[in-house]
Amino acid sequence: MFAVLHIADFPLHAVLRSGPFDPARPAALFDGNGKKSRVTAANAAGRAAGVVPGLTAPQAVARCAALAIHAPRPAAESEARALVLATALNLAPVVEDTAPGVATADLRGADPARVDAAARAAAAYLGAAGLPAAAGVARTPFLALLAAESSAPGAVTRVDDETAFLAPLPIEAAAPPPALVPVLAAWGVRTLGALHTLPRADLTARLGAEGLALAGRARGDEPRPLRAHPPPRDFTATHDLEEPVATLEPLLFLLRRFTERLALELRAVRLAAAGLTLTLRLEEGPGHARTFRLPGPTADPDILLRALHTHLESLRTDAAITGLRLDVEPARPLERQPGLFETGLRDPHGFTDTLARVSALVGAGHVGTPQPADTHRPDSTVLAPPAPVVPPPEPEPPHAPWGPPLRRFRPPLPARLEFAAGDRRPSYVWTERFAGEVAAVRGPWCASGGWWQADLAWSRTEWDIALAGGGLYRLLRADDAWFIEGEYD
Amino acid sequence: MSAPEKIAALRRLLAGGAAPSPVAGRVLRTGLPGIDDATGGLPLGAVTEVVCAAPSCGGHLLLGRLLAATRARRERIALIDAGDCFDPESFPADLLAHLVWVRCPGPVSRALQAADLLARDANLAVVVLDLRLASTAELHRTPGPLWYRLQRAVEPADLALVIETPFAVVPCARVRLELTVSHDATALGRARAELAARLSPVLQRHRLRAAV
Repeated sequence: MFAVLHIADFPLHAVLRSGPFDPARPAALFDGNGKKSRVTAANAAGRAAGVVPGLTAPQAVARCAALAIHAPRPAAESEARALVLATALNLAPVVEDTAPGVATADLRGADPARVDAAARAAAAYLGAAGLPAAAGVARTPFLALLAAESSAPGAVTRVDDETAFLAPLPIEAAAPPPALVPVLAAWGVRTLGALHTLPRADLTARLGAEGLALAGRARGDEPRPLRAHPPPRDFTATHDLEEPVATLEPLLFLLRRFTERLALELRAVRLAAAGLTLTLRLEEGPGHARTFRLPGPTADPDILLRALHTHLESLRTDAAITGLRLDVEPARPLERQPGLFETGLRDPHGFTDTLARVSALVGAGHVGTPQPADTHRPDSTVLAPPAPVVPPPEPEPPHAPWGPPLRRFRPPLPARLEFAAGDRRPSYVWTERFAGEVAAVRGPWCASGGWWQADLAWSRTEWDIALAGGGLYRLLRADDAWFIEGEYD
Repeated sequence: MSAPEKIAALRRLLAGGAAPSPVAGRVLRTGLPGIDDATGGLPLGAVTEVVCAAPSCGGHLLLGRLLAATRARRERIALIDAGDCFDPESFPADLLAHLVWVRCPGPVSRALQAADLLARDANLAVVVLDLRLASTAELHRTPGPLWYRLQRAVEPADLALVIETPFAVVPCARVRLELTVSHDATALGRARAELAARLSPVLQRHRLRAAV
């Protein structure tokens, strides 16, 4: 059993899907950019407007003023061809790149009851990705191709009764050698059914080996080994823009196409993306490159696109973008059962995305889990990325914390103090935020560090003060100046 | 579609998309008798406003209890620190292993945006927004729809959003607590657990019963 995915007018659809395009708008593909170039294919809206292959550009525009004219774009065809093959590779491991827009999958050994549904899903996926595909399922690759060519986009034709399927097809469907065409026409053989009725021995005697081969094709041909297309090893997509862009939407459109195809290729070889590298080529300057680490390997195109989208939303480049490239770092997907009491992230990719958005809002380095730094210098905490799994709580420390926690003023508030006569303790304090009589004082506590290195040396003396009007504060003397470092809360 | 039709459609959409009433019992127990006895705990899927009306009134003690409560259940908590005043060294390091600290000194609107993003994340159990150092004028200028947007973000989630403010300003708060008593000088010599147990906020608003 073989399945063929077939896209009619493949070069046209490959070009149309490479950019935002209204499918209701008439469009035609020409064989070049010159004045004498002619229409090679038109979409349904173009055909309805009278645009047919062979017309020149002026003739086509005269018939349809709103016609969108496109020239062949090899890069777009390569990208679309890779998508078709990736889709076929998700049907079966042995796939043939039969022709542009035609991929054949060897489904021998597959469950026959599921073949139709799988082929229909593949055709629907390609249709949603901008390539209106039809599928054919039959005993031989040739027969499956004929079935796919005779199907409407999105449909699947399964050939069970081969004789009945082949009989009405024109003789051209079997690709007769040019020399035999007039002979068969003279005999009045115009359909495969008519050719099928001729005795093989007489046909061989009159038309030779070519006639015998033609008769074989008219019977549906024999199964043949496919020229296996190697599974993808490099997961890369690249695109050169025709016009430099400075907005987000065209980039996201292309990246959506990239991630769809790359995710398919990853799934075909049972891999997932562990990281992404996005490279943007700029009109001027060295370009922009950014590598993303994903919280867990994934082959979900929406998650891949979300990571890129979040980054691009906050990206400002000095020049317009002329091209982009996306590289995926493949990895084996994580397959493990979470522990019964493990409290990992419910949505790891969503969490990463949330943190990236918050970081874009408040600035990189301002979001994370506080970690103590390797110093006794106060307020030296660093921020680390949140752990993927919250560890079990440690036993209670032997010395439970005392007193209310501190709310720091960053930077510390400069303070003026008044000392009572004959006493070295402050009696009144003024700051820009509050002032009041000091009711109680505890301290001093002295601390210093980094004395062995001049630029890191620090020394400080602290007091805890309570104001008569309410409020507990930490009073700090450093560098011969007074500060309120924070409020005990 | 004409303007009246659009307005009618919007009204129908809003009427149909109204969030379901909160279910009684969806609360986060803080371990503080002063709060749990009065309200049953902080409501999940709702906004709780904690008004810190006096200096050294225990707002950070409450934050420490929320850190401990979520740490015991191995859940995550986010602190949007609009005043950049959180001091990690005041807490045991283990109590911070599940904390996402967002340092965002600056306009209130930016802190609200950060809260909006975090409140929609399914991985967090508690989000604390500390606006105590925001200026009075800026808090008064904050448009009401921003607060209600926060409320809408929280409603479908299993998350408690706690907003600490210097005065009552959050119109959509389901529970409003006010801390009015400052610590005295002896607090510096007492165990923190004892101080937390003595916290007795004044319950100013509790809409939970009316909503059920």
